[in-house]
Order: sequence, then structure tokens, then C-alpha cells
Amino acid sequence: MSAAVRAKVLVGGAIVAAIALVGIYLAAGGTSYVPAKTQDPCKHRPWRNPEGLDQIAEQFSLSALDGAACQLGVSRETLAQALATPEAREHFTKRYGIDDAELAKAIRAGLLRAIGDAEDAGALNPLLAAPLRETVKSIPLDQAIELVQNARSLLDSAESFLGPAQGFLEQLLP
Amino acid sequence: MLADSSIVVLALPQIYRELDTSVAGVTWVLVSFNLVMALAAVPAAHIARRVGPGRAAAVGLAIFAGAGLACAASETLATLIAARCVQALGGAAAVTAVLELLPATVGSEKRATAIWAAAGATGAALGPAVGGLLTELVSWQSIFLIQVPIALVAAVPILAVAKHEAATGVLSAELRQTGRPHVLANLALAMVSAAIAAALFLLVLLLIEGWNLSPIGAAIVVSVMPLAAFVASRFDHLVSSARARAAGGAILVSGGLGGWALLPKAEVALTVLPQVMVGIGLALVLSALTETALAGRAPQAIHGGWTISARHAGVVIGLLALTPVFTHDIAQQRNDAIDAGTAVILDSHVPPLVKIDLAGRIESHLEEEKGKVPTIGAAFEPLPEDPEERSEVVQLREELQDQLDRGATHAFSPSFGLAAILGLLALIPIGLSRRIEL
Repeated sequence: MSAAVRAKVLVGGAIVAAIALVGIYLAAGGTSYVPAKTQDPCKHRPWRNPEGLDQIAEQFSLSALDGAACQLGVSRETLAQALATPEAREHFTKRYGIDDAELAKAIRAGLLRAIGDAEDAGALNPLLAAPLRETVKSIPLDQAIELVQNARSLLDSAESFLGPAQGFLEQLLP
Repeated sequence: MLADSSIVVLALPQIYRELDTSVAGVTWVLVSFNLVMALAAVPAAHIARRVGPGRAAAVGLAIFAGAGLACAASETLATLIAARCVQALGGAAAVTAVLELLPATVGSEKRATAIWAAAGATGAALGPAVGGLLTELVSWQSIFLIQVPIALVAAVPILAVAKHEAATGVLSAELRQTGRPHVLANLALAMVSAAIAAALFLLVLLLIEGWNLSPIGAAIVVSVMPLAAFVASRFDHLVSSARARAAGGAILVSGGLGGWALLPKAEVALTVLPQVMVGIGLALVLSALTETALAGRAPQAIHGGWTISARHAGVVIGLLALTPVFTHDIAQQRNDAIDAGTAVILDSHVPPLVKIDLAGRIESHLEEEKGKVPTIGAAFEPLPEDPEERSEVVQLREELQDQLDRGATHAFSPSFGLAAILGLLALIPIGLSRRIEL
């Protein structure tokens, strides 16, 4: 084999090897190996057949998070992390340039959406949803902030702000 | 010294943690050394020709060894970077002067050039593996300490030359006229070096910081590259065309980098084939371009200085261009991965009380590892005793870790992709060069 042919074989072989490797990795899913995208919190998420008060409370808190996150223009997951610790909440409000009043307002909106979702899922009697809505609407701003501030983690906070609602549910659910 | 940049790479994650700095900060341990080498190599070569290569090499080795001790003793990033700058000054003096001495030692200028070029490629490929072993078995300081006796041993035969120079004097009549530097070969060398430096730096960070391998584990993994480079160097004489070797090598380096940019899973085995390509590629391209830049040119020290300058300037460009991309991407991907992981927890079927406990532990864990790619396993310990709950929590941990692995791996993709483009850009000067054939 002449020197010129060997040179061409080397360059050609390198091109083939490079294209083959990139092609194989692409075909194996090289561009789709990324973290899962979070869902749009403004889109309705159906409840998964809640059984028992614990599961209703859990679904209720997730709906409330979705509603509040939608209002704030963030993902449900980002808001969940923000409510996990006081430091995380402070970091969150600074990062997004919102104050506690706006946060409380958003959480109240989330709670209202959760009541609607509970109603739609058949977990809450429609006749009883109206007074529950009034209760949520009338939670004073300070109390709403306190409910969030006392949260130790996402579900802690969810359970905390579900406190009043949970009381209603226990009374109103069959 | 030719291996210095790459040998330090595997110590960077440990330096990064011990000196409590950032990824961008720790990059300067590499950047400072390479920047000073790039700036000082050609002036150092001129000085070597004035004072005599033996004396220049001896002084350079002494400075390199002394600064190595200072690096090992550094307790802050600032002092480490300052010591690295001094070390690079010594390194520039020694490396360029040694090239001037080599022809007399090995018998011919061509053989000296080939040995010097091969040493550069071998050093770059071998460095990470040696660095990883030392970091894991001893400490990051040992990487600098080991350079001291090596430099001193190398200084012994050089001192004899220096004594001879002192006795006879350096005659300017003996100094042949210098030709102009081979611009295209040096330009290509800079581009390929940028790609290779980024490859080594990013691969090591991916393995240690992204996939949580130990330094020794990462060293074993990246040893594929020097092995491939060694095998390739045994066969590179089969192709006499330096241009073909340079082009083929640059394409293989870029192909390997492209493979890392498109990893379909966080699996060590998937890094092997790209490593083989990068190893073969760097052995071909670095030696071909260095030989071309030096062939038929005199004095060797000055043209060697230009190649050293080009290689280290390339490393600086590669690191400075890609580190901001990489640090931005890793922050973004970390957030995306944590969001994805939070979604996994929120949507999981584990009992609410277990979720509450996990959420608190995971959030605290993430706070502790702020700004870094988190490892989440510890946050799940101890596992629940109830077998059903335990199995659900284990599955949750795996799903969460999968999201973090995806985030960590994907964070490196754009940087590997850009490095691949840098490698391909080297084909322009290689293609333009008419005189690149030896």
C-alpha cells in the first residue's frame, strides 16, 4: 500500500469511526437523556382515586400547590421546595421578587382550586364546597403567612394549611 | 512538565472541596499554569539560548521543584494559584531548554523532535491516570510533591551540561539563525489542545462530580486514553504524511468528544469507546503537529517554545471558553434534576408521613451540597423497616437518582459538543497548510 493510500485510509477511517460513534449514541437516545420536564401547574391534573382522609389531604395539598404555583408562574416542584424550609422560602421570594402577601394570596388561590378539584373528583360534596370556599377566602392574610412560615417541609406545610380544611372534611365527608 | 496540566486534572475535585472554592475558581489552578507557560515559553527559549540551555534547564527545574513544594503547602486557592504561576515559569525554562539539549543526547535533531513530540502526547494522555492514583492513595498535595524528586533527578545530568557551558561559554556563533514559526501548525496545535484539555477536564469532572466515582476509580476509567495513545504511537510511523495524521487525529478527537456529548446513559462503559478515539487521536495529532512545527527549523528551543506556547494557550482558551458554559449548564441541570426529583416524590405512592420525613431530609441534604451535583443516597438512610414501604422508598431513591444522573450527564453535553467543534476547527489550518508534509 502506497503512502498516499495509507494517508487516505487513515483520514477516511477516522471520519467513518467518528460518524459511526456519534450515530450510534444518537440512535441510543443521546439527545433525550435529560431530566424529566415538570408539568405546567396551570393544567388540571386528575386526582388518583383518593381513599381515606390521608389521601384526600395529600391530593388536596398537591392541587393547592398547583394552583398557587400557577398563580406565581413557577412550577409546582419549585414552590414545593420553597415551602420546605424558611431559608428556602426566603431564597424563593428574593429570587422571584415577590413578598409574603403575594405568596399568601397565591396559596389562598391554590386552596380554592384544590376545593374545586376535590369537588370534581367526588371527594367533596358540592353542596358543602361553598362554605369551605368561604372559610378559605376568609383566612386572614397573617394566618395564611403563618401557615406557610410554620411549614417544615412541603407536606408539613400542606398538612398545616389543610388543618382548617381537614376539620371541615372530617365533618362533611360521609 | 508536559504532563503537568493533565496530571492536576484529577486532583481538581479534591482541591475544589478542600479549599472550598467553585468550579470556576478551581479551573484557575489549571488556567494560571497554562497561561504563564503560554506567555513565558518563547521568552524562556530566548533566554536559554543566551545563558546556555544547560544552565537554563537547571534553573528552570529548580524553580519548578521549589514552586511544587509551595503548591503542596498551599492552604488557600490564591496561594496555590500564585505558586502554580511560579511553577509554570520554571517549567517553561526547563522544557524549552531541554529541547535544545536533546539532539546532542539522542543523536539527531529529527529523533529529538519525535521524542519530544511523543513525550508531549504521552504526558497529556497519562497525566489524569497518574493524578487520580496519587490523589486517592495519598492526597492532592502529593501530585505536586512527586514532581520535586522527579525534577531533581532530571537536573542531575543537566547540571553536568551546565558546568560544561560555564567552563566553555556559550558562543553566539554556534547559534543558528531562527526561521519563522510554523503559524498554521501552531494554530492547529492550539485548537486541538483546547479540545483535548476540555476533554480531560470535563471527563474527569463528569466521572467524579457527576457520577460520584472516587479519584482512583476515575483514574482507572481514564487510563483507557493513555493506553490507546500508547498503542497508536507504536503504529503512527505507518502513515508518513504528517498532514493525514494530524487531520485523522483531529477528527478522532472530535468524534470522541461528540460521543461524550451524546452519552445515552450515565454508564462508565459508554465513555470507553470515545476515550479510545480521543487517545488515538491525540497521539496522532499532537505528535504530527509538533513534529511539523519543528521540522527543519532552528533553533529547536525557540520553535519548541512556540509549540509549548500554542499548546498551553489552547488549553487556556479551551478552559476559559468552556468553563462558563459548563458551570451555567450544571447549575441549570441541577435545578431541573431537583425539580424532576421533587415531582417523583410528590407523585410517589409512599405514605404521606414517609414523604414528609424524606422531603425534610432531602431538602437539608440539597442545602448542604448547594451549587454542586448532589448525591442523594444518604438522604434515604435509614430505610423504613416495613418491607412494602422499604421497596417503595428504594424505588423512589432510584428514580430520584436517575433524574440527578440525567441532569449531571446532560450538564456536560454542550461543553463536550463545543470542544468537539474546537477540534474540528483545527482541520482548517491543517487543510490550509501546504508545507505541513514532512
